[in-house]
Amino acid sequence: MPAGPLDAGIVARWQLSGGGSPAHVLMIEDDATIADMYRVQLEHDGYRVTIATTAELGFTTMTANPPDIVLLDLLLPDRSGFEVLASLNERFPSHPPVVILSNYGEPAMIDRGRSLGAVEYLVKSRVTPADISGQIPTWIELGRRGGQGES
Amino acid sequence: MTQAAALLQNLAAAGFVALGVAIAYRWYRERGRAQAMLALALITLAVVAALGRVGDPQHPLAVLSLVEIVGFLLSGYFVLLFRNEFIPLGSFAFQAANLLLAISIVVGILDVTALAHADPRVATVIVLEIIGAWAIFTGEPIARFWLASRNLPAVQRARMRFLSFGFAVLIAILFISVLGGSALRSPTAIVVTELVVLMVIPAIYVSFAPPALLRRIWRMGEEDELRAAIQDLLIFSPTREVLAERAATWAMRLLGGNAAFITDPDGKFIANAGIDPARAAHLMAEQRKNSLGAPDRVVTVPLPLTDGQGSLGVVAGPFSPVFGTEEITQLRAYASSVSAGLERARVTERMAAIESNKTQFLNLASHELRGPVTVIRGYVSMLEGGLLGHLNDRGRKAAAMMSAKASEMNELIDEMVEAARLEDGGLTLKLVESDLRDIARSATFSVAPLVDSRHQVDLDLPERRVRVKVDPDRTKTIIANLLSNAIKYSPNGGPITCHVRARAGIARVAVSDHGLGIAPQNLHMLFTRFGRVITPETEHLKGTGLGLFLGRQLARLQGGDITVISVPGKGSTFTLHLPSASAAEASANGAASSAHGAAGEERVHTNRRSTD
Repeated sequence: MPAGPLDAGIVARWQLSGGGSPAHVLMIEDDATIADMYRVQLEHDGYRVTIATTAELGFTTMTANPPDIVLLDLLLPDRSGFEVLASLNERFPSHPPVVILSNYGEPAMIDRGRSLGAVEYLVKSRVTPADISGQIPTWIELGRRGGQGES
Repeated sequence: MTQAAALLQNLAAAGFVALGVAIAYRWYRERGRAQAMLALALITLAVVAALGRVGDPQHPLAVLSLVEIVGFLLSGYFVLLFRNEFIPLGSFAFQAANLLLAISIVVGILDVTALAHADPRVATVIVLEIIGAWAIFTGEPIARFWLASRNLPAVQRARMRFLSFGFAVLIAILFISVLGGSALRSPTAIVVTELVVLMVIPAIYVSFAPPALLRRIWRMGEEDELRAAIQDLLIFSPTREVLAERAATWAMRLLGGNAAFITDPDGKFIANAGIDPARAAHLMAEQRKNSLGAPDRVVTVPLPLTDGQGSLGVVAGPFSPVFGTEEITQLRAYASSVSAGLERARVTERMAAIESNKTQFLNLASHELRGPVTVIRGYVSMLEGGLLGHLNDRGRKAAAMMSAKASEMNELIDEMVEAARLEDGGLTLKLVESDLRDIARSATFSVAPLVDSRHQVDLDLPERRVRVKVDPDRTKTIIANLLSNAIKYSPNGGPITCHVRARAGIARVAVSDHGLGIAPQNLHMLFTRFGRVITPETEHLKGTGLGLFLGRQLARLQGGDITVISVPGKGSTFTLHLPSASAAEASANGAASSAHGAAGEERVHTNRRSTD
């Protein structure tokens, strides 16, 4: 691990350049079109991507193959993203940073997501996969510094 | 003096008779079991008083004396029965009372027959026994009534207190006159006693049938409180149920009932205070069955509502003695206020439901619309970025256009949601102290994709910070909207300026174009919802007509406004006015602002060339 104050991108670049295994992104998203689209971008950028179409599958991945970052949708078939985030906080106290990607833009929901410890809340239709991919190292770094719960 | 005493004694007796007659008449007008008991008590007392003045006091007729004694005892016993109507006596207490009555009657008979002309001391004991029994029969109820009156509405409180007071004085007089001995048999003492008795008579009458004037006086303080409560009820109750609940509680207080309920026209209970719906339904059914002659345990009045007639009912408690016409009139007047309140609450609730449906629909719609836009925008951006393979120039041009259109669609969805929030009051501004120059700058950057070769956006910013306390995101949206309008409505190109200045406590962002302009007669439509000005030159341009409506509303929410000056064919200037953060605060932060302003006047040109 590189030491000292880090530029947010260094970790990811270091990992991507063979210093470690590529960063693992878990995307909990039930819309296959959106998930596939993100997979194309993220894998192109060198990330290892796991798609979970339900909250339950997401939890399975959390245990079996812990990710470095979680991209979380709010409307899932088995429970809401908020519930997922709450149980993540409970079951995996030191879970990786969670970014909520939802098409709900209600201020109340954004506040709720933030208060549950999401490092970021983004409206999907306003961002492109490239935007997200570009920000992932920053978020991972934020999580490493124990910045989760703050944004 | 003796003559005066005799006169007063006669007057007192006559007073009691008058009381008896008046009460008998009142009872005939408004019958009820409880009132009957009180009426009987007072009438027998009147008879006793009258008998006391008949015949020669020195040689009383045994029959008359006996009737007098029994009548006297019964008058007390009826007071106890009156109490029993409100607070049923326990069976033991009841039996004890009956026993006491029987013993006292036997003692009375003995007094008149076997023990007549016995030793004066024996006579005193006998009289004490009889008066004692009477005092027990009346004393217990009056103490009860006095205590219970504390929590009752003013009129009933006053009535019960008068009754208690009257009987208490009578008990006192009787004991004093028996125990006081010869001193109290002097004419002067008799005059005083009879005067007191004469004063007690109206008090007892008033307690049985208070005149309207007196009731109004008693109620004055309470009415103000009630008026205020009704006002609160009508204006501030959030839902129909809450309103009904409060109205029922007030009805209960108004009449001093033990419980109250309100039903819908279909008989459904909207509110119950102090009673469960099943019991209330039972009482109502019972009352309907024998509406005549039934004890007035429940008083109900109709509640006219738009969908029929509901009802407002008050159930008598142990201490709400009489529900007479007075109470019904009062309840009726109150019911009309309650009806109005319930109707208002219903309308408000319906409107709220419609509003909330609309908001829910818009939230849902915006979420569903954003789904496809996400995918289109995502893939288009990947196409543009060359991630999905190399595109030729024409392909890149198409991708850029699709990207711009997808963004536009996003903005339309956002506008729609924002307008809905604005209307249902769900919009909260996050006011942050900001530099208006930064906001104008980012607004200019955000419209960069709309700018083509024919347009040029000049950003003209002052040297010093322009401090405003606004919602930065929304202010950016307002300015971006003014800029995109300027671009859209100057199809032949020309420079567009975004000019930021602060003067006299007002910060201004003026966006000017050299476009189509707006005819004066159409200016008023600009800021209305969906108010687009359609002319042959603009009919091909797309828009929801929400942008300026939202812009002005958001500006006004932040203490500002948007104004417009336009010359058809020459162009328009839309100006966003916002209050500056106060001058005092500005000087406190002077160092920061001058440091920030060191970069000097800044002009940003956003001029994006098309790809060909």
